[in-house]
Amino acid sequence: MKNKKLNILVIEDHLGDYILIEDYLNEEHLDIQLTRATRFSEARELLTAAHNFAVVLLDLSLPDADNNEGLVKSVVALAPKIPVIVLTGYSDKEFGVKTLSLGISDYLLKDELSAAQLSKSIYYSIERNYATIQLGESEKKYKSLFDSSPLPMWVLERNTLQFLNVNSAAINLYGYTYDEFLSMTVKDIWVKEDAERITSFWKSSINDTFKTTVKHYSKAGKIIELEIKSNPIEFDGKEARVTLATDITARVEAEQALMLSEQRFKALVQEASELVMILEFNGDYSYVSPSSKIILGIEADLLINDNFFHLVHKDDITAVKEGFRKLTDVKRIQLKSYRVKSECGEWRWLETILTNLSNDLSVGGIVANSRDITEFVEQENKLIESLLRYNIVSKATSDTVTDYDVQLDKMEFNEGMEKMFGYTQEQIGSEGEWWNKNIHPEDRENVEAKTEELYKSGASNLQVEYRFKCADGTYKYILDRSFLVTDEQGNAKRMIGSMQDMTEIYEYINTIKNRNARLKEIAWTQSHVVRAPLARIMAIIDLLQVQEGVADQSKLLGYIVTSAQELDEIIRKITEKTEQEI
Amino acid sequence: MAKILIIDDDSIVVFVQQKILQKCGVSYEPLAFKDAREGLNYLQDESNEEKDYLIFLDINMPSLSGWEFLEKLEKFEESDKIKVIMVTSSIDSYDKKKSVDYKNVFDFIEKPITVERCNELRAKEDLSKFFK
Repeated sequence: MKNKKLNILVIEDHLGDYILIEDYLNEEHLDIQLTRATRFSEARELLTAAHNFAVVLLDLSLPDADNNEGLVKSVVALAPKIPVIVLTGYSDKEFGVKTLSLGISDYLLKDELSAAQLSKSIYYSIERNYATIQLGESEKKYKSLFDSSPLPMWVLERNTLQFLNVNSAAINLYGYTYDEFLSMTVKDIWVKEDAERITSFWKSSINDTFKTTVKHYSKAGKIIELEIKSNPIEFDGKEARVTLATDITARVEAEQALMLSEQRFKALVQEASELVMILEFNGDYSYVSPSSKIILGIEADLLINDNFFHLVHKDDITAVKEGFRKLTDVKRIQLKSYRVKSECGEWRWLETILTNLSNDLSVGGIVANSRDITEFVEQENKLIESLLRYNIVSKATSDTVTDYDVQLDKMEFNEGMEKMFGYTQEQIGSEGEWWNKNIHPEDRENVEAKTEELYKSGASNLQVEYRFKCADGTYKYILDRSFLVTDEQGNAKRMIGSMQDMTEIYEYINTIKNRNARLKEIAWTQSHVVRAPLARIMAIIDLLQVQEGVADQSKLLGYIVTSAQELDEIIRKITEKTEQEI
Repeated sequence: MAKILIIDDDSIVVFVQQKILQKCGVSYEPLAFKDAREGLNYLQDESNEEKDYLIFLDINMPSLSGWEFLEKLEKFEESDKIKVIMVTSSIDSYDKKKSVDYKNVFDFIEKPITVERCNELRAKEDLSKFFK
């Protein structure tokens, strides 16, 4: 400022006064350049055009301005950024005070004027004006910062929480207009459940800076979560607070989603029946899911300090460790089922998939997902045992064992087909039809009907008798006991049968039947033929006893002899016949 | 007058039976047929006015069995006046049971026929008229 020449516009029609001013200023050794206007019109021209006046000295008695107040207003208006100092001859203090309110910088009386006073007034005015301009610009800057901030901001009356000002980011966020905001308090947009907390918080820190999170309603009723920072300020002379808000709705939603995802993960890992473990390559645990209690009977907390390999059966440990070693080459591997010792000393069979996530920071180890397959293995063992037993029985039995695949129409036989019926391997057919056509034609219909009935009834056992053709063309009597295996839908799947050779038994039965028939014949003969002569003899004797001295006595005795001979003959024949049978 | 007939292929049986019947009050020698067919012919003979008969019938006979005789007899007119006593050497209860099915059968006797047995028959109200 001091290096620059000070340009001063002196609006003064009176030459004497002008020279006086010039003298005063020179007297103070000010580096100045004076420009003189003798009329208002002249001053207007100078101020309207480009100029670099630092201050205006205005005399009120100008030939083209008779209204002092009007003149002051006009000059102030023409030089809005320049301090205007009024010089007057009037010792009218009242008017002087009034001109101050019209925007002039200072008011000096010509009669009392001195060089020192004038120069002091000029410097003070210039400095004050400069400070005022700076302040204005600063205010403008701050106002612009508030208005154009991308973050929502508002000013509240500190006690009532009435909105005093609100920026456009807040207007955009909430959907209320500026005027709507100013008719509300912030309480109107609090979410009810949050109101109590925020009220006590706000009351306890009414004159403090604070930072918190709040939930507000938008005009559309949407809940907005905000992180706010609020400072007490003075705003237009009122106690207020300015609040800067950050919309964290999306962040909170993301956090909640993450939390849900974590909960889901926990539920999956911790509540699942699968045993999940995170292990080091040397078998040390770094995590064990709570299902260890269900599967092994051991709390996860107890396992964590131990080593997984200690639980594995000694016969399986080599294969398990080999699986771990392979994880250096492949990311995922399924271990061959192996045994681990449970709390009560029982061996449980596990099926485990190992995944190497040692490079994954969130895991940092080998994830072992294990399923308890003990029951499955036990069932499988039973099945194998049962199959072995079936094979042994099938070999040991003298019966012919048949295995018919109903859906594929394929039939297999054990060695019985060769031993019992004399067929060679080449002669034995592999289809149901081969077996069918070797059934005696008279029995075939019955066998087919009974088989059909079995399929339809849903029963599983069939017992049927038929004759089956041997390789030499003779037939054997067969008692066939079959067991039908069905699928889940109840459709016939397999038919396992045993063909028992009943030929000898049937022949024996037939022999007995024939013998019985003959014995019956003998009994009949005895009853009818033997009794005929005997009854005759008895009748004659009866007659002889009753009739004394009967005329026909010799005739009757002759009849007795004849009858006795007849009887003897019959008995001999019976004996012969019986001997033949036995 | 009511009459007794004997139908049996065994001539000794016929002879003995005739004698026993006579012992039991039958005043004449009852007519006998060795072949059941002859017996049927006799009963059918129109010149024979007698309809009231008691027949002692054997079951096992070669040309016509006692059962076949009964079946044919049932078809005769006025056959209801004929009473039959089955006489058999068999002790098989089957024959006795079977005899119930024939309406003409009055009784069933296992051989031998004795005087005592005949007297029992004679004592029966329905049969007494034949033993004269």
